[in-house]
Amino acid sequence: MVAVSFNNVWKDYGDSVAVRDLNMNIKDGEFVSLLGPSGCGKSTSLRMLAGLEHITSGEIVFGDKVVNQLPPKDRDIAMVFENYALYPHKTIFDNIANPLKRAKISPSEITRRVNEAAKLLEIDHLLERRPQELSGGQKQRTAIGRAIVRQPQVYLFDEPIAHLDAKLRARMRSELKHMQFNLGVTTIYVTHDQLEALTMADRIAVMNDGVLQQFGTPQEIYENPVNSWVATFVGEPQMSLMEMSMTGEKGDAALDFFGNIISLDAASSSRLTKAGIADLLVGVRPDKASVSLQETPGAIKAEVYSRQLLGADVLVEVAIGKTRVRAKADTSFMGNVGEPCYLNFSSENLYYFNAEDGKVVER
Amino acid sequence: MASRELISYDTGATVKILKWVSPVFLGAYLIWALLPLFIMLMASFKDLLDAFTLPKPGQWGDVGVFFDFSPTITHYIALFAENNFGTYLFNSLVASVGSAMIAVTLGSMCAYSLSRTEFRGKKDLLFWIISTRMAPIVAVIVPLYAIFRSADLVGTLPGLILAFTTFNLPFAIWMLKGFFDGVPYAIEEAAQVDGNNRFQAFLMILPLVAPGIGAFVILCILFAWNDFLFATIIGSGGAKTLPAATKELVQPQNIDWGKIMAAGVVTTAPMIPLGLLVRRYLVAGLTMGAVKE
Repeated sequence: MVAVSFNNVWKDYGDSVAVRDLNMNIKDGEFVSLLGPSGCGKSTSLRMLAGLEHITSGEIVFGDKVVNQLPPKDRDIAMVFENYALYPHKTIFDNIANPLKRAKISPSEITRRVNEAAKLLEIDHLLERRPQELSGGQKQRTAIGRAIVRQPQVYLFDEPIAHLDAKLRARMRSELKHMQFNLGVTTIYVTHDQLEALTMADRIAVMNDGVLQQFGTPQEIYENPVNSWVATFVGEPQMSLMEMSMTGEKGDAALDFFGNIISLDAASSSRLTKAGIADLLVGVRPDKASVSLQETPGAIKAEVYSRQLLGADVLVEVAIGKTRVRAKADTSFMGNVGEPCYLNFSSENLYYFNAEDGKVVER
Repeated sequence: MASRELISYDTGATVKILKWVSPVFLGAYLIWALLPLFIMLMASFKDLLDAFTLPKPGQWGDVGVFFDFSPTITHYIALFAENNFGTYLFNSLVASVGSAMIAVTLGSMCAYSLSRTEFRGKKDLLFWIISTRMAPIVAVIVPLYAIFRSADLVGTLPGLILAFTTFNLPFAIWMLKGFFDGVPYAIEEAAQVDGNNRFQAFLMILPLVAPGIGAFVILCILFAWNDFLFATIIGSGGAKTLPAATKELVQPQNIDWGKIMAAGVVTTAPMIPLGLLVRRYLVAGLTMGAVKE
């Protein structure tokens, strides 16, 4: 158990940069999720932590030790791979026991610990089988067993549950979270699934194009995204962005959205006038926007683009010119595609970004 | 897995004729392949007179004379007693197995490296390795002989093993590289994270390429066992192998057919069960990694 830091870490593959000046301090015992779309550098960062990739420049520090030059075996880490990477020719028992054998632990102790891990993961009846006889979920649990059978300094998870079916994934999320909490080992978890990151991590590092966008608690990331990219990447259904411009003088400032004037609450008004940015990207989360077939005061006229039943409610996508906005509505909303409708949201629930660089407007 | 069932459709006359022709062709091929072996085996148990008793051309009724002889094992006894074939058998065994072992050890390590690393000129290096097998051995045998001569390796078993290894190794590297390419790199990464160093990780995945290595060892043994050119030129004298020794049974004044046939049987016999035993293994090895699972 150890704190982990990235200090100005870069990774190049020839001309292309995979990770750009990464700085991140992960606390001892923390569960951190690296979140981003594929190719954003999150797996590369994890592999640099594991020692499976060279670091082009910068430092990776475990505790107070720089590990740049340590091979994986000397870093005291355990890793779970996306495709499990089990040893196909070994039994499940031997797969889980392998790291212990290397650590020269007595056979009786190995048996005890493998059985304990297998029981925890409910694969104790499969120990004599070989990986190809197991289902995806069982293989994945074997891979986790191989990681938790010893107490390493750091756990590294590389999309470990990406290939499981939805139901099993939901169960494994809570099991992994529970297990990490009990073991208290620093954990870094790579995923492209924002739901996994939001539900499991203590803190989330959102990456895009090799650059760390934001590092914070799930709540911070969700409520105060630092830029429009993070805002739209995190949250399901996705936040909608609208291009708006500032109008009116100080005191009665408002937003102009294709001729619709959106009045501002006091906090937003002072925030936006202070920033003095003319062109804004304004975000609204679907559950903070409403849509109705009846005209209401202050509502924006739109057209129904699509209507998707989510179960308890419906997700309605409406079009205002070329802009699309998603809103949640009651299942009683019966608007058909192309029908006129009215979109409504309150300025307190809006997210404001600079249209030029996408950065959040300072509070 | 795709269905193995043969799907038949209503077919035209060509296919019907082919259906009839193919067993005939296969039968003819079988006779063509097996008859020499059969004659060799029969002749090795016949004395000289019986061996040359053949029916007149066209006299199919007299084919019985071919089988009408009293079996004798004198040729075999003579081979081992007078012609030292025990030593040659031993030489063949040591040279072929030895070179196969060296080629597989060096070859698997080299193939592993070439499979797992990227560096400038890798393709050229790979091509250079296989290009050493493109020239016929005859083309290089004279300079090779001079080198072996000056290193005092001519006529010695280590020399012969070295010679066989030089032509088995490029083949080993190419073949085994294909097998290593088929092993997911993540398995070694997992092994390294588990606490193995790179070499231990390499040893961990060796069982996964075992069918390939097995197939390759057998091919190497077969190549070396059957080799004639190196055996006569590099191995002549102190390290004579079976094919080279058999050739010496052909003397200017006397061709000892009985012994030659017996030597042929002695040379072929150990390879046939080897071939049969490893047939499935060989196919599994050669096709391994051809289809990604």
